[in-house]
Amino acid sequence: MGQFTQFAINGLMSGAIYALIAVGIVSVYKATKVVNFAHGYLIMFGAYFYFTFAVIIPGQEWAPEWLASWKPSWMLEMRKGLGMFSPLGAVLDWMANIPRILLGLVGAVSCNAILGRVVERTLMRPLMGQSVFAMIMVTVGLISILSGSASLIWTADAAFVPHIAPNTPIRFELFGTMIFLFGADIVNMLIALLIFGGIVTMVKFTKAGIAIRATAEDQSTAYSMGISVPKVFSNAWVLASTTGAVAGAILATRNGISPSLGLFGFSVLAIVLMGGLDSYVGCFIAAMSVGVLEAMTQWKMGGEWAAIVPYVAVLVVIIFRPHGLMGQKEVERI
Amino acid sequence: MINGNLKADYSADERILNNRNKQFFVYGSMFFLTLFPVFADDYAVLMACKMGILLIAVIGVNVLTGYTGLISLGHGAFIAIGAYSTVIFSNLFDGLPTGILPFVVVPLAISVSAIIGIIVGLPSLRVKGLYLAVATLAASFIVKFLIEQDLFSPWTGGIVGIDTPVPNILGWELDTKREMYVLITVLAICTMLAAQNLFRTRVGRAFIAIRDRDYSAEILGISLLRYKLMSFAISAGYCGLSGALGAYFYARILPDQFGLNLSLELVAALIVGGMGRTLGPFFGVIIIMLVPELIKISMSSATGGSLDWARYTAPVQEIVFGLLLVFFLLKEPLGINQITDRMLRAINRWPFARG
Repeated sequence: MGQFTQFAINGLMSGAIYALIAVGIVSVYKATKVVNFAHGYLIMFGAYFYFTFAVIIPGQEWAPEWLASWKPSWMLEMRKGLGMFSPLGAVLDWMANIPRILLGLVGAVSCNAILGRVVERTLMRPLMGQSVFAMIMVTVGLISILSGSASLIWTADAAFVPHIAPNTPIRFELFGTMIFLFGADIVNMLIALLIFGGIVTMVKFTKAGIAIRATAEDQSTAYSMGISVPKVFSNAWVLASTTGAVAGAILATRNGISPSLGLFGFSVLAIVLMGGLDSYVGCFIAAMSVGVLEAMTQWKMGGEWAAIVPYVAVLVVIIFRPHGLMGQKEVERI
Repeated sequence: MINGNLKADYSADERILNNRNKQFFVYGSMFFLTLFPVFADDYAVLMACKMGILLIAVIGVNVLTGYTGLISLGHGAFIAIGAYSTVIFSNLFDGLPTGILPFVVVPLAISVSAIIGIIVGLPSLRVKGLYLAVATLAASFIVKFLIEQDLFSPWTGGIVGIDTPVPNILGWELDTKREMYVLITVLAICTMLAAQNLFRTRVGRAFIAIRDRDYSAEILGISLLRYKLMSFAISAGYCGLSGALGAYFYARILPDQFGLNLSLELVAALIVGGMGRTLGPFFGVIIIMLVPELIKISMSSATGGSLDWARYTAPVQEIVFGLLLVFFLLKEPLGINQITDRMLRAINRWPFARG
């Protein structure tokens, strides 16, 4: 039981990140009926943008000094005399990084928003009304374009990326066992859950969200009701790429930046299909359960087997429920 | 006005090469392929061999995606299965005389591939379109993962790869690339003919009916279960043959050769060339293999072969690959075959309107 709780909590934390990524794929699918195979590579771009704005730019000579490391006098005063691993010390260390973390997040989100809009305008818009196959294959082509450009632009080796939240180790007792967690992981999970919840509420209640749902229901009817469908399309892509940017930043702090971040998108794609392409709730359930399953596999069978858990899970689910756990069944007429 | 297509009897109408331009093109290319190893240098022969191996696999994908309408993003896995089965069976049947070993091993590799193809194809009965694309993708990740495992490394060599045997056909040892070229070219032409003929049979027509509308096909009495799985088996078998040739061609095979990139390359070649057309894979493979080569050559000559620029070659190749795929999808979704068709029609009808 002891280990179990620890791994279950770890699983839930990575499940939350999966959910954050899944929200992008689901939003694009709901609005445009396109499954974005290149979403993982959008995330990779988000991670690289975060790296650029949080590490490379503050490291330049022309950048002001407070950007790289913000050290007001009161902070130095407090820092004095604190032990090496004291929680307050970790928080203060993190506060010194606040300016560049904020710059990194803002930069990553805005750059990725532009990227998402450009992709939608140049590649997806001309294909409106074309077959699903063509649209999927365009996103497959986008994979190569994005991963090639990323290795063309960011040739430098990715160094340390600052954590979004203070990374203090936290220990507490739950069900009679010691649980050991990192502060940053908890904050990451909270961010992911907040964004996920925010988007679901937005789609449910705001005007733009209702436009997305109406377009998902029936494009031509939505058109005739005065909804600008092209606008909905590009909003959905921007939504996907901005959430992807946040997810990319989180992943960059967790696992470091590498081109393999793009492959991460495929496992999330598997999760989305498992949950049902057009259901936020289904994806949330699938993301959490895959997260936990992965953690359990890691515990029982070793780290590398965890890599194929999403793929095995999606195959099993698809055979029994072809449209995912909570996906809407498509009605086909001849 | 349609002219240049005069058919005086049914046998003329049923011929594969039913007009003079096609005959000229096909016999001309066969003639060129025969002469090719005589004047080409080693590098060109190597490229031609790689193209031939890829071509056989793309023909397989064409059977599934182009003719049966089932999307697969995981066919690289079948090539891997073909290649690894060839190596494993060669080591297993070590006692057989080497001259007849390929005649045992290659059919076995093809059948193993086909059987795995049927297993992977099982979800296709319940899902289609992108669900199937993701299912095949997932299956290919799983296959590659299993090959890399230490558990199977006595047979597969694990992540560091495994040495491959030299093929020996009835005493003729194919230990140079030029000899392999002969084998690969002959097999590529045979598979292409087999694929062309498949679609003149009952089975092939059933595939096309499923592509056009699967429920309608079912109502017409075509068993979806049977024909979808058959399509998966045939296309996986083609990929298995391609993998077997690959195993004989390369001195060593690594799991990384059969990753996502290979699967994407297969689909991209098919789209660029033209889906559901016999010559589509042929044109597609030429473009997909030659364009990166041209980029490499032109970049190294433009920069004087300096090493600083050499590291930009691979990313540029990748970007151009993606752009090619996107360009063809946006501008010519029917692929190069459509362009050549238009040209041939224009030549046929000259000097009349080009319609």
